[in-house]
Amino acid sequence: MDQTPAPPADPVPARRTPRLRRNPLRGRLWVLWVAVLGVIALWAVAGNLLAPMDPYAQLPAVRLLPPLARTEAGLHLLGTDALGRDLFSQIVVASRLTLLIGTCATLIGLAVGAVVGICAGYFGGWIDRVAMRLTEAQTAMPMFLFAILLMAVAGPSVANLIALLPTFIWPTVARVIRAETLRLRTEPFVVGAIALGANRRQVVFNHLLPNLTPRLAVLFVIDVGQIVLAEAGLSFLGAGVQEPDLTWGVLIAEGRPYLAVAWWLTVMPGLALAAAVLSVSMLSREMERRSQT
Amino acid sequence: MTSTQQAAPAPAAAPGPAPRTRRSRTRSSLGRLVLSRLRDAVIVQFLVVVTIFVIGFYVGDPVTAFAPPDATEEQLAQLRHSLGLDQPFWVQFARYLENLIQLDVGTSVWQQRPAMDAVWEVIGNTVLLAVLGAIAAAIFGVVGGVLAGTRPGSLTDRVINLIAVVSLSVASFWIGLLLIIIFAVRLDLVPTSGLYEWRSLILPVATLGFIHGGRICQVTRSVVLDEMSKPYVLVARSRGLPWRRLVARHILRNVAATVLTTAGWEFARMFGGSIYPIEVVFAWPGLGPLMTTAAHRHDFAIVEAAVLITGALVILVNLVVDVASHLLDRRLRPQ
Repeated sequence: MDQTPAPPADPVPARRTPRLRRNPLRGRLWVLWVAVLGVIALWAVAGNLLAPMDPYAQLPAVRLLPPLARTEAGLHLLGTDALGRDLFSQIVVASRLTLLIGTCATLIGLAVGAVVGICAGYFGGWIDRVAMRLTEAQTAMPMFLFAILLMAVAGPSVANLIALLPTFIWPTVARVIRAETLRLRTEPFVVGAIALGANRRQVVFNHLLPNLTPRLAVLFVIDVGQIVLAEAGLSFLGAGVQEPDLTWGVLIAEGRPYLAVAWWLTVMPGLALAAAVLSVSMLSREMERRSQT
Repeated sequence: MTSTQQAAPAPAAAPGPAPRTRRSRTRSSLGRLVLSRLRDAVIVQFLVVVTIFVIGFYVGDPVTAFAPPDATEEQLAQLRHSLGLDQPFWVQFARYLENLIQLDVGTSVWQQRPAMDAVWEVIGNTVLLAVLGAIAAAIFGVVGGVLAGTRPGSLTDRVINLIAVVSLSVASFWIGLLLIIIFAVRLDLVPTSGLYEWRSLILPVATLGFIHGGRICQVTRSVVLDEMSKPYVLVARSRGLPWRRLVARHILRNVAATVLTTAGWEFARMFGGSIYPIEVVFAWPGLGPLMTTAAHRHDFAIVEAAVLITGALVILVNLVVDVASHLLDRRLRPQ
């Protein structure tokens, strides 16, 4: 050890100092993510008004045009697909179903997970044991394959998808909420409420639930991205949303046969998907960072 | 050097338990772990089986798939009777379980042979891809995680962090398609799909590695960061141990258990879902294309066989990971 002189580079302390010339955007980048999500949310709400063209209008004469191509119908911002439909308009309109399925399924998953978690944490005993066994069992299940099977048996439809996707997330939600409930139960204000004669309903709805809400908000942001990705995967394999309903996953699947001639048909919807999920996960990191400090 | 190693987390000197009791407790906890995992496995598989059966019982009518399209209602009823489909729920369920115990989930209508055979034939390809993908993910994750974790706050750290978050936020199959467009269509470096030569492995393995490396990278970074603040690092540094050697010999060794566990979980997660869309994208002759085709053709037996086998596989991998992490963590190991 003596033969080596002091190491030339000293990564640990050296990197700590240049705090002053820090990127001014750092810490404010969340505005960008909110803006991206805002635009997508706007598309979802008023897609048919915002889409520059009719997403279902087929114009065989202008099929497979590259992005920024101009025709008499107007500017095709992201090009056209194999039937001459405007890709940008399709992406705008497809955001509605994508977000609808994503938020509905996530909310259902959160509700189920929250109910199971609160019951397990608050009542304890055999309810707790059964609930935790179930969550453990479910995390070991190959959910994606199971989803393909169920969708094949029950028939792929939006309603079935919304019913199925929550099973992907409820176990983790239940575990987090259970842990949080266990912690809250010993807090003085809960113990005090019980001592003052509050009944179970009052404790759960007036004391536990309001304090669980921030945690649920974070879980929503984390899980909604995963649900949207799962939906895209299932739709891509034909076990999710079916044409003529459009989601970004359906659009990617539609573009796949034209990979060699029209790259934009697969790249662009995927980019929209990635932008949405990335914004959501960046926001969730921001939320975590803020809740820590 | 030995002194620095001993500074690694040693078991808390608990007053009381003699070595003998500690050993026996460790062993029994390992045994309990295995037992509880096996019990979960039974519960999971049973739940899967019951769900499949109930849904098939109430929704699917296999007779319509078997029978010729011009069959009359009487002929259909007769066919149902001969297949035992007109029997009450519990009788059918018992028969179903009986067949299942003999690993028989039925005959594939599409391939005209036992569904299990069709699955066994291709599962090797899926496992091969998953193993290579997990290795790629581990390399990406560990290299990225160590680079980022040893330089917190630096540009490297931020770039790697961003890549990791992106890898967790994109659809796996989309990355596959993107790689095909860039490397197969535009640059024409590798074949687009199939399994013909070793080069056709590159893109699917890279896709899997990227998608699953992100989490390994994040976990590695955070454990490395954690490890760097421990006293033994300070001691080693003040004794003049070169930085590279400290990372290679001590930090890496101490984070290995956590990283291996994460990599194992990612491996299990591949069988849980992410690998199948990728297989479809690259027309890899594995479970993904088989399952989707079977599902399109309403051939539920194959899908069912695949779910049951991969379910068992996921449980097995999880079990191995749990046991391995149990054995690797020296705090849990008998001294």
